Amino acid sequence: MSADIKQSKSLLQNAFIRIINEKISLIALIIVAIYFLVAILTAANILASDWGKEVGASYMAPSSVSYFGTDIFGRSVLQKTIKATETAVVIGVVVSAISIVIGTTLGMIAGYFGGFVDEIVVWFYTTFSSIPGVMLLVAIAFILGKGTTTVFLSLGLTSWVGLCRIVRAEVMKHKEREYIHAANAIGATHGRKLWKHILPNISHLLIINFTQTFDSAIKAEVVLSFLGLGVVGRPSWGTMIDDSKLELARGVWWQLAAATLAMFLIVLAFNILGDALRDALDPKLKGK
Amino acid sequence: MKLRNILLAIMSASLLIFSGCTKKQNPNEKILNIVSPAEIKGYDPIQADDLYSGREISKIYEGLLQYHWLKMPYELVPNLAAELPTVSKDGITYTFKLRQGVKFQDDVAFPGGKGREVEASDFVYSIKRMADSRNQSTGWWTLDGKLKGLNEWREKNSKLSATNYDEEVEGLKAIDKYTLQFKLAKAFPQFIYTLAMPFAYVVSKEVVAKYGKEFINHPVGTGPYILPVFDQGKKITYTKNPTFREKFYPSDASPELKHLLGDAGKKLPLVDKVVVHVMKETQPAWLKLNKGEIDYYSVPKDNFASAVKNNKLSDELVAKGFVLEIAPQLDVTYTAFNFENKLFHNKKLRQAMYLAYDEAKANTLFYNDTAFPAQSIIPPGIAGVNTNYKNPFKGPKLEEAKKMLAEAGYPAGKGLPELKYDIPDSTVSRQMGEYFQKQMEQIGIKIKIISSPWPEFQAKVKKKSVEIYGLAWGADYPDAENFLQLFYGPNKSPGANGSNYDDPAFNKEFEVATQMQDSPERTAKYEKMNKFLAEEVVALFGVHRQAYILEHGWLKNYHPTDLHHDAVQYLNIDTEKKAELLKKF
Repeated sequence: MSADIKQSKSLLQNAFIRIINEKISLIALIIVAIYFLVAILTAANILASDWGKEVGASYMAPSSVSYFGTDIFGRSVLQKTIKATETAVVIGVVVSAISIVIGTTLGMIAGYFGGFVDEIVVWFYTTFSSIPGVMLLVAIAFILGKGTTTVFLSLGLTSWVGLCRIVRAEVMKHKEREYIHAANAIGATHGRKLWKHILPNISHLLIINFTQTFDSAIKAEVVLSFLGLGVVGRPSWGTMIDDSKLELARGVWWQLAAATLAMFLIVLAFNILGDALRDALDPKLKGK
Repeated sequence: MKLRNILLAIMSASLLIFSGCTKKQNPNEKILNIVSPAEIKGYDPIQADDLYSGREISKIYEGLLQYHWLKMPYELVPNLAAELPTVSKDGITYTFKLRQGVKFQDDVAFPGGKGREVEASDFVYSIKRMADSRNQSTGWWTLDGKLKGLNEWREKNSKLSATNYDEEVEGLKAIDKYTLQFKLAKAFPQFIYTLAMPFAYVVSKEVVAKYGKEFINHPVGTGPYILPVFDQGKKITYTKNPTFREKFYPSDASPELKHLLGDAGKKLPLVDKVVVHVMKETQPAWLKLNKGEIDYYSVPKDNFASAVKNNKLSDELVAKGFVLEIAPQLDVTYTAFNFENKLFHNKKLRQAMYLAYDEAKANTLFYNDTAFPAQSIIPPGIAGVNTNYKNPFKGPKLEEAKKMLAEAGYPAGKGLPELKYDIPDSTVSRQMGEYFQKQMEQIGIKIKIISSPWPEFQAKVKKKSVEIYGLAWGADYPDAENFLQLFYGPNKSPGANGSNYDDPAFNKEFEVATQMQDSPERTAKYEKMNKFLAEEVVALFGVHRQAYILEHGWLKNYHPTDLHHDAVQYLNIDTEKKAELLKKF
């Protein structure tokens, strides 16, 4: 046994190995990586930089000129779908970041300090989560006006409750653990105990939550754009689907197909990856 | 609370089930099924500032005048008036003789529940009600400054604790039971048209007093239909007014409408029941039309290619007995500037934008090439527009546009800030916004699209917090004044001049022209003003649209129009033909 200790890997390294060892989760990881790469390339204007250019007539069917046909203005649907990946990935990342920051901070404070602070935080998120999500999204979008920033904020501000609950419960558990008592004994401050000791021990929860928030953010953006509250002036899968609700009447299915397919792939990949991560990061399953 | 709501839900659900079982439809009952593409705000005539509410209100309420159903161009004829008014030589005094024996619909607000006869004093009351500042009528602009003493009455009463309706107003008098007299503050020949608008419909004070705030949901008029129940639902059902007076289908018609004289002389209304389906989305309504559940509907833009070819219906639709009605509309679409923003005082900038814009392509994309390109604000069909006129600044003339933009001081758009373009938040509006953005991009002008829900969009225009925005204006009455007033200084927001355009010279000409009686001189003046606005490019004039309406073979007497809000009373259903045609569906 003693020989093994040297080669022992961290939780994350271990999880990574577990994921690449499993075929399905490896494929999911690759798909997600490709989407991120595409997003970076489009953001750097290397890919799909001329998505706004007309490549043919309005509503051209898929052909070798344009694999997914053209939209109402004769723009390539393929290029639009690729450009929209950037919108989706940016929204996913920013929204998850906002929700993780809010959820973790509030959850940790509530769980660690308990008492009155806990009551306030619990009251706040209970009240907050009792408001129907879509209504809240629409209300925030109305107040802030339209645009990408609104989508970031409205989704970020509405998706932190679940994480906050989990973090709170986890912190409550951890603060009674021996390592925290030890930290207490050497006189660590509250801040140090929270950020240096407890946070690393619950970080796997944040990673799992990131994957979940990411794909629900992508889906929610599509809903918002479909309701006419989302992204304006740049391609997004939501506005593409919104366009299609009228276009379908003239038999134009390619815009809907392209946007749905793109969305389907990344949401599925993230779901599989999320599941795999949950298993891989579970310390109880470590080494099994 | 909760429990009661649940109980209520169960009760209403069971009621629905039972009512579904007990009543069988009479196959000979004539039911007209039509669509309203927007929710109905309610049934108060003085708030009827949108087309869709106006159409519903006109089923129940009536006014002094109406448009002849079968005459084009539009011709005013008496409705609740016995004849057209006598107008004094100076154009100031209008005297109406009322039709006798017209009764309000039966309602508990009247003694014994029986509707009483309409008198001249009811019109005086109804018009004062519109002028009462407490009611915040959206139709006040039609009267503002028009009747002698009415503005003063409004002003004075707004300061009192309650409005005094008994106080006489010089310009608005009931001479006797059946004689009504208007005195104008200054000559305004269009005044007579405003009396045919839903705002001026007659209401009874007993009903207003009885229902108070709920009046808006309890319409009691003199019209052909009554509304037994109104709940803001998806379906509104009207039934025949049993006490409706003897009103007959017209027996004369313009040559092009002669074929609609089949029911001449028959007592109105012709159908027993009118069902209005509130459907905002075009596709479900289109499907319902194709199943024969709706009697007529305009062809949605995305179904156009499959339904209509070279202005002819597809064979499949012809086989089902459908008929296509095409009629130009009295409207104009335009992109407006907010002139409160000094940037848009630069005429060359406006002209450059117009030169860059490709209307022909927009017509293809959004109207399937059915609309007429607008050269100016006044639509063809109204006196005041020279139909041969071509606006020299109408695009697409890209090279000229670039040159003009440079002359305006912004070569290739340099130095020009990003312009905000406001649109209502529908899918098609967004597509139009994107199109505008692309067009302006060609000459280097950057556009940011801002979409808001329709009420919010309207509020932004009224608050002058827009830069550029897209809109359409439909005629309220067939007179060029109704279009030219969109750029008359004193009509600035919150008035109809949402562009806040204010040119003293134009204002003066407008004031002179609107006091003139219809004459070749006035038409010449209108033409001059119209051309002036066109070449100043006070807005980017888009198109005059055409209605493409698909009607079923069993629908009789229908023709698409802009101003006949009260059309349903003339429509008829051939029940035998309907039964026969429905077999093909």
